[in-house]
Amino acid sequence: MKVTYNWLKEYVDFDWSPEELAERLTMLGVEVEGVETCAGAFEGIVVGQVIVKEQHPNADRLTLCKVNDGEEERQIVCGATNFEVGDKVALALPGTSMPVEEGEKPFVLKAGKIRGEKSEGMMCSGRELRLSDDHEGILILEENAVVGQSFGEHRGLGGGDTVYDLEVTPNRPDLNGVIGLAREIAALTGNALRKPDVKLAESDDAVENLVDVRIEDAGLCPRYNARVIREVKIGPSPDWLRERLERVGLRPINNVVDATNFVMMETGQPLHAFDLRLLDAAGGKPTVVIRRAANGEKFTTLDEQEHELTAENLLIADEGKGIALAGVMGGLNTEIQPDTQDVLLECAYFNPTNIRATSKATRLHTDASYRFERGADIGITDWASQRAAQLILETAGGELAAGAVDAFPEKPESREVMLRHDKVNALLGIELSPEQNTAYLEGLEISHAGDGVFRIPSWRVDLKRETDLIEEVCRLHGVDRIPATPPRGALGDNSFDTVHDELAEARAILTGLGLNEAQGQTLISGESARLTTPEVIALEHPLSSDMDVLRASLLPGLLDSLRNNVTRRNDDVGLFEIGRVFKPGEGEHRRLAILMTGLVEPAFWGDRDGQKVSMADLTGVLEGFLERFGVFGVGVERRSDATDFFLESAELRLGKQEIGELGQLQPALGRGCECRQPVFLAELDMDLLLQRRTRTKSFKALPQFPSIVRDVAMVVPESTTHAKVLGVVKKAKPANLVDLRLFDVFRGGNVPAGQKSVAYTFTYRHGEKTLTDEEVNGAHEELVETLREQLSAVIRDT
Amino acid sequence: MSLLDEIEPMKAEALAELSAAPDQQALERAKGAWIGPKGKFTGLMKQLGSLSKEERPLAGKAINQAKGELEQALLAARERIEMAASVPTEPTDFTAPGRCRRLGRLHPLTQVTEDIVKSFRKLGFVVADGPEVEDEYHCFDALNTPADHPARDAQDTFYLDQPDRPLLRTHTSSVQIRVMKEQSPPVRIIVPGRVYRRDTADATHNPTFQQVEGLYVDKGVTVGDLKGTVEFVFRELMGPKTQIRFRPHYFSYTEPSFEIDFANSLTKKMGKDWLEIAGCGMVHPAVFEEVGYDPEVWTGWAFGFGIERIAMLRYGINDIRLFYENDVRFLEQF
Repeated sequence: MKVTYNWLKEYVDFDWSPEELAERLTMLGVEVEGVETCAGAFEGIVVGQVIVKEQHPNADRLTLCKVNDGEEERQIVCGATNFEVGDKVALALPGTSMPVEEGEKPFVLKAGKIRGEKSEGMMCSGRELRLSDDHEGILILEENAVVGQSFGEHRGLGGGDTVYDLEVTPNRPDLNGVIGLAREIAALTGNALRKPDVKLAESDDAVENLVDVRIEDAGLCPRYNARVIREVKIGPSPDWLRERLERVGLRPINNVVDATNFVMMETGQPLHAFDLRLLDAAGGKPTVVIRRAANGEKFTTLDEQEHELTAENLLIADEGKGIALAGVMGGLNTEIQPDTQDVLLECAYFNPTNIRATSKATRLHTDASYRFERGADIGITDWASQRAAQLILETAGGELAAGAVDAFPEKPESREVMLRHDKVNALLGIELSPEQNTAYLEGLEISHAGDGVFRIPSWRVDLKRETDLIEEVCRLHGVDRIPATPPRGALGDNSFDTVHDELAEARAILTGLGLNEAQGQTLISGESARLTTPEVIALEHPLSSDMDVLRASLLPGLLDSLRNNVTRRNDDVGLFEIGRVFKPGEGEHRRLAILMTGLVEPAFWGDRDGQKVSMADLTGVLEGFLERFGVFGVGVERRSDATDFFLESAELRLGKQEIGELGQLQPALGRGCECRQPVFLAELDMDLLLQRRTRTKSFKALPQFPSIVRDVAMVVPESTTHAKVLGVVKKAKPANLVDLRLFDVFRGGNVPAGQKSVAYTFTYRHGEKTLTDEEVNGAHEELVETLREQLSAVIRDT
Repeated sequence: MSLLDEIEPMKAEALAELSAAPDQQALERAKGAWIGPKGKFTGLMKQLGSLSKEERPLAGKAINQAKGELEQALLAARERIEMAASVPTEPTDFTAPGRCRRLGRLHPLTQVTEDIVKSFRKLGFVVADGPEVEDEYHCFDALNTPADHPARDAQDTFYLDQPDRPLLRTHTSSVQIRVMKEQSPPVRIIVPGRVYRRDTADATHNPTFQQVEGLYVDKGVTVGDLKGTVEFVFRELMGPKTQIRFRPHYFSYTEPSFEIDFANSLTKKMGKDWLEIAGCGMVHPAVFEEVGYDPEVWTGWAFGFGIERIAMLRYGINDIRLFYENDVRFLEQF
């Protein structure tokens, strides 16, 4: 909604500057989104009167004049001679930016000397003012022109102004008109709201003889008002009207249409003008029928678009055809023509929900539909129609038929809302007297009916209950005048609170393990989502194909992040994300995902090649994370085959529960991300980790006695995993064994193909004494024997 | 010459050689030559048998004494050589880049969220959570936003292609309803989380973004309380000199409703008097009625703001999409 400073001033007095007005409106809840000052047309040009006209002493073709600008006499050198002393002229003062054609450089007039004589301005020709092509002589004004008046005003223009672009919230349709805004200012200042005086000269012809109205669906159109103005002369609107409309962003069309648009901007009530002769008058006079469209009925709107309508769309029609899409746009078949003589003026109230649906279905979003779908003022219909009729008579002449056909079958009762004054204070936290509250509300024309009951005016569709009235009091009193009270003590309680911290703890551990936290898009492409699962949840109306499903795994998002990095030459990427995934029928789950590629540590000058990430780095991070997070006993089960996603992978299990997976990305998918290095990924079910974690920690006394270590190297088949070795040792339970550690894996040399040499360090310690070699040897030799037997291991000399 | 007379010069020669050894290798050679199994002093011991009974104990004692001295000298030489080896061969370049273990960073949005959570927790708030896939009831209806309300259209919503047309929540306010339906008042929660709107991604929009919602319900809660808490939190977040302004506004689930603007050195730098940062208001009685709270007894306020917006302001980030690209050069700046 756009409005100008001067326009508002016509309806209410206020002594705020344009900047102050913006601030006041904003603080009333009408946010000013933009402020534009526009210079008045012909700014700097005034009506002057020639006092002296003499020959220029140094130039034959110039005259030397004295011209009264209303305040003083100025000396002007002029090249024209077509004027006499006493003539009124358009005088441009120094500093004036002369009117130019579009695209031309602005020309600013300066005081100076012409042939030795000073010249303090310029008397303008019609062409210099861009009013005509006449440059033979200067423009001579009418005798009654007022000396000193600005030339713009002389021509009936408003002068400079400030245009505000307002954000009107959807609950306040009454502010989509200048009068509604002025009412707010009136309430704030206590000054009176001046609505324009409407006095109509009507002819003897009664409108009932010229047109009839039949509402077939009063639910969709509770009120329809028609007036007829005959014998109008269609033409361009006067300058002041064109200027007003242009300033608030409307395109002037012709005097009749402009008058209806002006009233819409003024009152917030849209109107429409039809060419009466184009309506079917078979029965002697036309009947305006307000009906639902037939299913499949075709109708062409003013913008020459044909629409196929349904019974959900309300149509304004005559007995034969549709003539307007109600509340949205008029029909091409009855629009005002250059030779239109008789105008049918429509002013109505339509059901907001229905207009909204029609506007959406036809994709026609007009100034009218915008206002109707938010709720027009059913009480203003007839007045707005009179106001438009008045303007049409003023600008296009003609005769107004007497009265109006005002079909208003069911007058709604005015709403009453109760306000308890103690509730105002209880909610706002201040002390206001009942008188004060009533005064604030009455300022907005919300009248007190007695006993705390307030009568809601028809334009305030938003005021429905007590709290709505309290808000009005709050706005007018000013929220800035409510003192802030310091936060009060009370403890919140919600079971998620600890989960929030547990997730924060997980993030802290993962960053400590050298990974950066990523946050991926929730919406990803179906194609990449299906890399990990065929089951995905799709959006009904996606914005684009690269954001058309909900992620069912965090891994595709991490691959997107990988691509973002590798294409920008960040080859070393270690990322994790904790986020939600969505699966059909399973709801939402939190997951943790990790991606690692490139160098383990930042490149270092002392070790030029650096260490490349391998699977052991990923498993190391996982082990470190799980241990610190308190999830113990996670088993890894290698998948025997590659998957579409992983070249090689394994499931992570906790008891019988699968809690995640890890693996090396299929190189083709890596290439898809421009990544030529091996990429390692893992994804775990974060909700399960939260469930299964142990947070209890207890102290174990530090060892007091020295330990004894024994190394064992053995050759075993490739299929013998570390987990298998651990299993055998665990089962054997050697006395006093406290630790074992894999310290070497070797292939080749004299180790046969298909086998590997693995070397372990076993640490023995007793809690209460120092062990002797003999005590350890017995247990250790027994253990070695068990390994030899159960793992088919060949023990190597160490 | 008697064997006894040989001991002293041999010892002197050995001592000189040990103390002159320039490195570990030379020292080991010298050790072998003098006191190793084939060394000269070991040789002397073997010759003891050829001495007279009187000379034998004297010579034995002298040899052992000398050997002891040599062992001492060997230790000293070893220490000397080790110490010398630890001296850098070249002067150290203290300015060369150090070697450091990689340490990851928290995502900037996580960091901002945590700061917000911290300041609310000082006031006794706890964190609550709810689903991102919602239904119309929790996202709109229960929040006093009827089906044909224009406000509902303004929040262009992603619906899912699933039975019952679930939707992606357009605001974290849906969690208000879930929490109030579950627990009785008083309530003091904040809800950080992802929300979704059908905005095409550009520098200031991403279809996915993050919000924090605050809700406080108690007896006698006023607009004054709302202002007090909002001022506290934003001064914690944006600095103690931050100015806060409330402007009347419209949200269907609060009444009165306000928008919150702030001003500090940051807004000045951007050439703005005020910058919009959050929306808030007193919980609408219709919302209380919906969750079964008596609006005659309980009042409350709610407010919400975008986390990206705070992060963008705080760090001077000019493109919201950076948050979701996870470029490590971006992540490592925070």
